[in-house]
Amino acid sequence: MVALLAFVPESAWAAKIGDVAEETSLGQQAARFFSFRDPSVRYAVIGSVLLGISCGLLGCFIVVRKMALVGDTLSHAVLPGVALGFLFSGVSVSGLFDWSFDVDNITKNPALIFAGAVIAGVAGTLLVTTLKQTTKIKEDSALGLTLASFFAVGICLLTMIQDLPTGNKSGIDKFMFGQAAAIGKGDIQLMLGVTMLIVAVVFVFYKELLVTSFDAGFARSIALPSEWVHHGLMLLVAFAVVIALQAVGVVLVSAMLITPAAAAYLLTDRMHRMLFLAVGFGVASGVIGAFISFLKPNIPTGPCMVLGASAVFAVAFFGGPRHGVLTRWWRHVSRSKRVQRENTLKAVYQVLENRAAQPEDSVSLKELAERRRETLDEVSGQAQALKQHRLVTLHEEGNKILFTPGGWQLACTIVRNHRLWELYLTNAANIAADHVHDDAEKIEHILGDDVVRELERMLDDTTRDPHGRAIPGFADIHKPFAPSASGPSGYGRSS
Amino acid sequence: MTDSPATNGEDIPLEIHDLTAGYYKKPVLWGIDLQVPKGKLVGIVGPNGAGKSTLIKAIMGLVPPSSGWVKIFGKPYQENRRRVGYVPQRESVDWDFPVTVMDVVMMGRYGHIGWFKRPKKADREIARDCLDKVKMLPFAKRQISNLSGGQQQRVFLARALAQESDIYFMDEPFAGVDAATETAIIALLHELREKGKTLLVVHHDLPTARNYFDQLLLLNMRVVAYGETEEVFTYELLQKTYGGRLTILSEVADAVGQRAK
Amino acid sequence: MNDFIPAFEWQRVMVEPWAENLSTTFWIVLMGFLITAACGLIGNYLILRRMALVGDAISHSVLPGLAIAFLLSHSLNTVPMFIGALGAGIVTTVMIELIHKKTRVKQDSAIGITFSTLFAIGVILISFGQTDAVDLDTECVLYGEIAFVPLDLVKTELGPGMLSVVEKIPGLNSELFLDGNMLTIAPPSVIRMAVVTGVTLLLILVFYKELLVTSFDSGLSSSLGINATVVHYALMGMLSVIIVSAFEAVGAILVIAMLILPGATSSLLAYRLPTMFGITVVHALLSAVGGIHLATWLNCSPAGAMVVAGSALFALAWIFSPSQGLLLRWFGRELDKLDEEEIERLVKGT
Repeated sequence: MVALLAFVPESAWAAKIGDVAEETSLGQQAARFFSFRDPSVRYAVIGSVLLGISCGLLGCFIVVRKMALVGDTLSHAVLPGVALGFLFSGVSVSGLFDWSFDVDNITKNPALIFAGAVIAGVAGTLLVTTLKQTTKIKEDSALGLTLASFFAVGICLLTMIQDLPTGNKSGIDKFMFGQAAAIGKGDIQLMLGVTMLIVAVVFVFYKELLVTSFDAGFARSIALPSEWVHHGLMLLVAFAVVIALQAVGVVLVSAMLITPAAAAYLLTDRMHRMLFLAVGFGVASGVIGAFISFLKPNIPTGPCMVLGASAVFAVAFFGGPRHGVLTRWWRHVSRSKRVQRENTLKAVYQVLENRAAQPEDSVSLKELAERRRETLDEVSGQAQALKQHRLVTLHEEGNKILFTPGGWQLACTIVRNHRLWELYLTNAANIAADHVHDDAEKIEHILGDDVVRELERMLDDTTRDPHGRAIPGFADIHKPFAPSASGPSGYGRSS
Repeated sequence: MTDSPATNGEDIPLEIHDLTAGYYKKPVLWGIDLQVPKGKLVGIVGPNGAGKSTLIKAIMGLVPPSSGWVKIFGKPYQENRRRVGYVPQRESVDWDFPVTVMDVVMMGRYGHIGWFKRPKKADREIARDCLDKVKMLPFAKRQISNLSGGQQQRVFLARALAQESDIYFMDEPFAGVDAATETAIIALLHELREKGKTLLVVHHDLPTARNYFDQLLLLNMRVVAYGETEEVFTYELLQKTYGGRLTILSEVADAVGQRAK
Repeated sequence: MNDFIPAFEWQRVMVEPWAENLSTTFWIVLMGFLITAACGLIGNYLILRRMALVGDAISHSVLPGLAIAFLLSHSLNTVPMFIGALGAGIVTTVMIELIHKKTRVKQDSAIGITFSTLFAIGVILISFGQTDAVDLDTECVLYGEIAFVPLDLVKTELGPGMLSVVEKIPGLNSELFLDGNMLTIAPPSVIRMAVVTGVTLLLILVFYKELLVTSFDSGLSSSLGINATVVHYALMGMLSVIIVSAFEAVGAILVIAMLILPGATSSLLAYRLPTMFGITVVHALLSAVGGIHLATWLNCSPAGAMVVAGSALFALAWIFSPSQGLLLRWFGRELDKLDEEEIERLVKGT
């Protein structure tokens, strides 16, 4: 939201500074916008909400069916239909064969435009299917070809209409990039009807849409006509695209299908949650776009809405709780820190083991540094990190390290994981004993409890790793400060 | 053929040491060790998902290794790639591509032709000879989509021949070909071996593997066994290779892959 | 509809453009031909690499690069324009890769999100700069202004010696090029496009092998030591430059048709790459000429009409293609015409 406001043009601010103070001007504008006093604002907002709902809902199925570019093609292909819709408003039918066309009568008739655009969109998708079936042309080329050819026909018709005396007043140019302010009462009625239809169909046929999206082959095997579901969905998408045209425009309307749904896809694994999220995102970006273009009317609405949706996607892309890039980066950093701590703990254990010492004995920083082949400074930093996590205590001005009971347990677990894994690789996977160490260095940090238990079952009675070192057992882990004098007792003896 | 003086590496066409590799950091192969001597026809067998194709791709650097190294005639693959011929799986390319059979075989010569140059007459001769060897010369001008599965495989073999390499990696050359082609291919492989070439062939059919290959590499995420066919083709070793995957190994590999995401 | 679709008058539609408006027609057709030829040549590779929609994405997202270059340099000079386009092309390619490699979002959605975002930014930037941007407005973005190409001609004054030489050269001594002692060279955008088309052709000839093998079998190309990633990015860079040079004339969306239509048409008619290139060039010429007549007849955007003409050519190829044609399909192939190998193929089901 804040990022979007940054797009509010400087000139718009500057124009207001002259008469009113800067803050109140935006505040007043916002108040005027959100109070819905002007009917045009009311229509714009209602329209944006409706298109957000319908595009968001259908977009989810588009995204999970990997049909994003089919949506794009369809939305470009409606252009000639829009132009024909305009033209037919000038046709007056007085008898079956008595048609007359009057240039001066061309107006914006929502129903005609809707019909024309839906027909063109559906024709476009059918062309793609036919091309794929009858030639060796691949899907991507078929899509691009259809998209651009239909669009070119549309452009030709459009430039012809604009040359007509009434052409410029008809408002057809607003269909390219969208202008929410041009939404009228007739548009709203149509949008409302279509949105209700879409919501109803998705609600009623949710199961069928879900199963055909996930696995078309399975759907066919349970006698679901997945082809018909596909065609039905394409028809609904054509509806959604066409009602969004006036506000978003032909060129960018596909983004309102794809982007909110893709953002939702990043945030949840459940289809029904995805639907709700996508609708929310669609509505939010729609209203934001309408608001911005209200502030500066010569900016088309479509790009503003699309950028709103892109901003939502960017937030989900970077900050999503599970798939977000920043979240994953943060998880990666904290994991590396944990691995680092665990490696230091392991080194302390190994120093004690080599000395055949007791867990209660201390390890000096110098010993640890030698073991890890690092400088005293580095090791001292690691020791501090261990202390912060209460895995060790530090004595003699930080030069002596002593395990806490928790630290000892963790160290035993890590060493045990490492040696069990080495053992598994050599015994079960017959990999040479001198190769297993590097793998185990990585795997020791990620072995889950259940895998360890499986390993134990497979390798029972074994107490030594491939290099002949004792594998610390449950006895060592759970009775931390009472090991035998000869060092840790082996695994196996504990069970 | 570029015969450099026989060094230590020259006797070992392929040496792999402690190779762990996989897709998106998820290991598919663990700790692979392998030394293949010169002039051997080696079959790589193992169950589905055992990493047979991955091994070849890892050797050729198409799949990044997470540890270990590979040497071709004693040098890293990048320095010796001229001496390596590769026959990918048939499905890996688009057979509707607008090229003729001759064009495809000529691609095998590109490594020898180099940048900015066009194929010379000598290259064309070699390509024709190679096509003749697989009995596909009459089809030279045909577009590749008009070929049967067996013919497609022969074209790929001719292309590999045109590379004039010293070691060949072939990914399932017998998959989906007719019996005649299979016999022709195996005869060709034997002929190449007689010329001192080394061949590693991914193979999915166990019964024929015994007759086709000098040596077998039994693979299931790690090397189960490698050696002369009669030594390795035993009940115990095959049981070990095909007796189910090592579940823990796959589970842990999944965990590593999950973490990398 | 009579007021809407003008009557087809042979004289006005077919003759006058070449007789009376030669200087306009010639440059528009030349520009259209050069654009379609360059786009078609590189488009062949896009189609073969299944990257047609990446071309779609770059053609949309070149817009912000162009807008930024324009806002910074206050001109549409070649150098800032090319830099802006290359930058935008690279940003697009990287963004698509990032989104679909780093998240679960699939490539098709990644393409859609990327180009719509960048295009939206471009449109907004242009709307801001609309007051001082004479050459770059939202209509130009949609379908270009190829009709304005001949308005800006580079002319050079000839000395008497040169003049007498030039006057003797057939073709050059027409009023198209010679006006008194002023020799018309060409509109700057046509010169630029000609250079770009020439360079494209040259690069395709020089790197024919490398482009072929990376497109056909990337596994083999890496075993031959050809870096497929480098080739990919080079192709994307070239594509951005072509698209931006064509932008003023045909806009962001029609260019997609010019990328795909010639290649798709030739793929229906030919089965070797060199032949396909030949057909591509012929297709480019025919659609440019057909387009100008269509535009004259219907009085509509010439760029749009060129694409419509190109689509019509594609439709013809689709109907009459000797291997995949609709006619062949409708009337069926008679079985006795199948040769032995084809029967073998049918039996084996491949």
